[in-house]
Amino acid sequence: MAKPAKRDLLSDAPYGEHGRIATQISTPEGVVLPFLNASFGERIGALLIDFLIMALIPLVLFIVWLILPMEAFEKDHKAAYSILQVLGLAVWFFVRSGYFIFFEMGPKAATPGKRALRLRVVAHDGGRLTPAAVFTRNALREVELYIPIGLILQGAGNSLLSMMAFLWALALILLPLFNKQHARLGDFLAGTRVIHMPKASLSYDLADLEGDRAIGLTFTPEQLAYGEMELQVLEQVLRERKPAVMRAVADKIKVRINWQAPRNPADMPTDEAFLRAYYGALRAWLEGKMLMGKRRKDKHAAALT
Amino acid sequence: MADDPVQPQSRPALQLKSQKFREARQGDWRLLNAQLDKAERDGLGSFSVDELLNLPVLYRSAMSSLSMAQSISLDRNLITYLQSLCARAYVYVYGPQTRLKEVLSSFFVRAWPRGFRSLGLELALACVLFFGGALLGWLLCAQDATWYHFFLPGEGRSIGSSVEELRKTLGGNTENDPLSPFAVFLMGHNTQVAIMAFAFGIMFGLPTFALLIYNGIPLGAMLWLFASKGLGVEFAGWLSIHGTTELFAIVIAGACGLHIGRRLIFPGDVPRKESLMVAGRLTGTVMIGVAAMLTVAGCLEGFGRQMITDTWARFAIGGAMLTLWLIYFLLVGRERKHG
Repeated sequence: MAKPAKRDLLSDAPYGEHGRIATQISTPEGVVLPFLNASFGERIGALLIDFLIMALIPLVLFIVWLILPMEAFEKDHKAAYSILQVLGLAVWFFVRSGYFIFFEMGPKAATPGKRALRLRVVAHDGGRLTPAAVFTRNALREVELYIPIGLILQGAGNSLLSMMAFLWALALILLPLFNKQHARLGDFLAGTRVIHMPKASLSYDLADLEGDRAIGLTFTPEQLAYGEMELQVLEQVLRERKPAVMRAVADKIKVRINWQAPRNPADMPTDEAFLRAYYGALRAWLEGKMLMGKRRKDKHAAALT
Repeated sequence: MADDPVQPQSRPALQLKSQKFREARQGDWRLLNAQLDKAERDGLGSFSVDELLNLPVLYRSAMSSLSMAQSISLDRNLITYLQSLCARAYVYVYGPQTRLKEVLSSFFVRAWPRGFRSLGLELALACVLFFGGALLGWLLCAQDATWYHFFLPGEGRSIGSSVEELRKTLGGNTENDPLSPFAVFLMGHNTQVAIMAFAFGIMFGLPTFALLIYNGIPLGAMLWLFASKGLGVEFAGWLSIHGTTELFAIVIAGACGLHIGRRLIFPGDVPRKESLMVAGRLTGTVMIGVAAMLTVAGCLEGFGRQMITDTWARFAIGGAMLTLWLIYFLLVGRERKHG
C-alpha cells in the first residue's frame, strides 16, 4: 500500500520493489543499469532446490541399478559392465563437483535452482563472467559447506570438533546477511554477484491530458505541490486501483491543495477521475520543468517556479 | 483521443513529450523483448541473419531509450520496464563467451601457462612442503617401522607382506579390463584433494600447508616400504607413469591455495577485497587447468599403468610427461619482445 510510512523505502526501491538494494553497473554504452541483488532467502531457496536435484540424480541411478538384473549382466559382459561402472562413477563425480560449474558456465549463468527463482550470476563490475570466476566461486563451496558438514558428521562423537565445524559453517552461511549485496565468500573471491532478474511488463500510460480537459479539471501551479516521489506513489495507487486507497489518497490531496469541490454534486468527479487528472497535471508540470533541468525530489523540497 | 468539437480539427492532440517519445519507440522495445524471449528459449541458432544483425541495433536503441527516458519521463512503469529490458539484454549481449574454440585457445595458449608462471614463489613452497612431507614419511618409517601403520592404517601393502605380494601389486591388469572403475574413483578423489588444497587458501593458507604435508607423508612411507624390500625402483616406475602429472597437479593446486592465503595476509597496495578478487580469478584459471591435468593423469593411470608393465617404459612415459608439462608451462604464451 502506498502509505507515507513506506515513503522512504519507495524512494530507493528500484523496479518498484520494496526493501531491495540494487547494484549500479555502468555499461560500456555509458548507461547506468541497476541490478537487484538476490536476497538471502532467494539464495538459500535456490541452493535447496539444487541440493534436492543433486540428491535425486544418484538416487534414481541407484534405483535403476537395483531394478536391472545386473548380476547376470556382469557374468556375461564383463567389459561392458566395467564401462557402466565407470559411467556411474563419472556421474557421481559430476554431481559432486561439477554440477554448479557446468550450469553456471552455460548461457543462462544459473543452475536450475537459480533459474527457478529468476537469479543469475554476473561479474560484479559488469564485465564478462569468466569460466575462472565460476570455477573459483564454486570451489569455495568446499570450504563453506561440504567440509564443515563432513566434519560435523564425522565428529559426531567428538563434540568439540563438531561444534567448531558447526560454528564455521554457520558463520559462512550467514555471511551474505552482513553485506549489502548478499555476497558469499566465493563471490568475494571470484568477483561475482548473484542478481535477481525481474520481468516487468509495459503497462498503459496513465496521463491522458485530452480526457482530463474534457472533464474540465484543472489545477494551478500552486496546487501541484508535490514532487517526483509522490508522483510515483500516486502512479502506483492508480495502477493498483483499490477503491479504499484511492479514496484516502484523493481526500488527502484535496485537503492539502485546498481544492474547491464543484457546486453541483452531479459534476463531482469520481476519486479515480480526480486522481488521474491530478496525476496528469502534476506529471506535465514536473516533466516540463525537468526538461529545463529543474527537478523536485519530493514535497519537502523547494517548490518549482 | 476525442477532440473538443469547439477547437479546430487541425490542432494536434495534447500530449506530453514523454508520451510522444514512448509512442515512437515502444515498437522497438517490444520487438527486443520478443527477440530476447526467443533467444533464451531456443538459443541464437534459431535466428535468421537479419534478426541476428538487428539484435545489437535493438539493444543499443533500448539503451539510448532508457538513458533518454531517465531524463525526460516520470512514468515509473515505463522506466522500470526499460531498466529490466536493458538489464536482460545486457547480460545476454555481454554474457559468457559462447565460442568454444576461442575460449579454449585463449585458455591453453595464454591464460593458463601465464597464470602458472605468476605463481613462482608459491609453487616452490608447495613443492618443498609436499616433498618435505614425503621425506618426513620416509625418515620416520626408517627410524621406527611402526610409523607405517600409523600413516597407512588398513593398507593392504603392509610391512608383513612378502616381496612377491608387493611385486604383484605393481603388475599390470591381469583381467584385461579396458579401464578399471577404481582409477576413475581415484581421479575423483584426487580432484577433491586438489580443490580442497585450493579452497583452504581462504583460511590464510594454513590448512593448505597441512594438507600438502599430510598428502606427502604416505607417499614417503610407501616408498620406504618398497625400498626396504628391494623394490624401490619398480615402485618409483609404477608411481611415475601417472604420478609426475598427478603430483604436479596437486602441487599446483596447493600453490594456488597458498597464493590466496598470501594475498589475504599481504594485500599490498590495493584493498584486501580487491586483492582477494584478483587472486581468486588468477588461481581459478590455473585450477581449471589442474582439473584438466588430473584427467590426463587419470587416463594414464587407467590405461597406461595397466597395459605397460615394464618399469623402464613406465619411467620413460612419466619422464616424458613431466618434460612436456615443464616445456608447456615455461615456454607457451610468452609475450613476444618487440624490437
